[in-house]
Amino acid sequence: MVSDDIFFAWLDGELGSDEAARVAAEVQADPNLAARAEQHRALRRSLGEAFDGVADAPIPDHLLAATRRSEPEVVDLGAARRSREARTWAPLPQWAAIAATLAVGIFVGTMVPERSEAPVTVEGGKIYAAAALDSALTAQLASAPAGDVRIGMTFRDQSGAVCRSFSETATSGLACRNGGRWQVRGLFAAPEGQSGSYRMAAGMDPNLAALVDSTIAGEPFDAAQEKSARDKGWR
Amino acid sequence: MSPYSSFDSELVALLPRLRRFAHALSRNPADADDLTQAAIERALRSRDQWQPGSRLDSWAYRIMRNLWIDTVRARVRKEKVEAPAEEAERIGEDPTAGMDASIDLSRMMAAMERLPDEQREVVALILIEGFGYRETAEMLGLPIGTVSSRLVRGRTALLEMVGT
Repeated sequence: MVSDDIFFAWLDGELGSDEAARVAAEVQADPNLAARAEQHRALRRSLGEAFDGVADAPIPDHLLAATRRSEPEVVDLGAARRSREARTWAPLPQWAAIAATLAVGIFVGTMVPERSEAPVTVEGGKIYAAAALDSALTAQLASAPAGDVRIGMTFRDQSGAVCRSFSETATSGLACRNGGRWQVRGLFAAPEGQSGSYRMAAGMDPNLAALVDSTIAGEPFDAAQEKSARDKGWR
Repeated sequence: MSPYSSFDSELVALLPRLRRFAHALSRNPADADDLTQAAIERALRSRDQWQPGSRLDSWAYRIMRNLWIDTVRARVRKEKVEAPAEEAERIGEDPTAGMDASIDLSRMMAAMERLPDEQREVVALILIEGFGYRETAEMLGLPIGTVSSRLVRGRTALLEMVGT
């Protein structure tokens, strides 16, 4: 009689050669045990077939980006210099403060600068794009960058509203059309010390990528759909 | 060359396997990728605790498994408070949303989810990830006999659920 523990240890190749030979002989002599061995081999094959597809699939960008989030210890002097230069002219530092407050889920209205060129404005508890950000979201195509704001993806959310991701030197975010305006759904600051050029190399901010994933319905717009949506006023 | 650069490239090379393990543990692909991302971030933050020369894979798997246990415990606490809402949400949820999951994968993930957590992790590590009993026992900090008996119960229950 072969115990369950020994039977499966044999099946999994965990036994020494003498004991394995003994169990193999018992299994061969017992049609019930032989059938059971075959069922469990098939189960293991099915598990492999089901889950190996995950390991063979391409890694999503936001996971690859996550592996690049810590600063490499190998110092690239050129990159360090470029990063310093990027920081000296980085505009709109107030974005970082705004993004920080959003990140913890507490929005204090007084933290939005009362300046006409501030990129966001708070009204009725909602955050809307303003000034240069509003113009870029309304007019700019991803293929034709202009000014400091770059447009990333354009797509529809589950309610059918048009959404666009955007980025600026140290900040990126997502805004969706709401009542003829761009409502900001998320704003993320780059971790301290990551310059714009570094972030571009690392792809979309993982937090923004997660927000896009949870917002998007269907496929992102291609260039023709993006232009057509703009020409129809983002409806 | 800094020792960190090999850590980084080895971790990237491990991603497909870590992601597969996350799918074996999680109830849907979206949770699996959240878990994968959290494990990568934890591994990068804790890189100083990894001893160069030791196996990076067991170390990273252990990080993922511990994060998963934390998530499961937090969910249990949450469900005690709001169990009906959570159930209601999940009924309408497509477990494969956002991923090109095969029917086989959906079916196997659903079956794995019905295993008790302590059996699921052992089945995942040995039958899917291909670790040995002893490696698994060391990773989980369990006696090898416990690993072996959980594996027997887990695979038997799984076979009843999916047939072959």
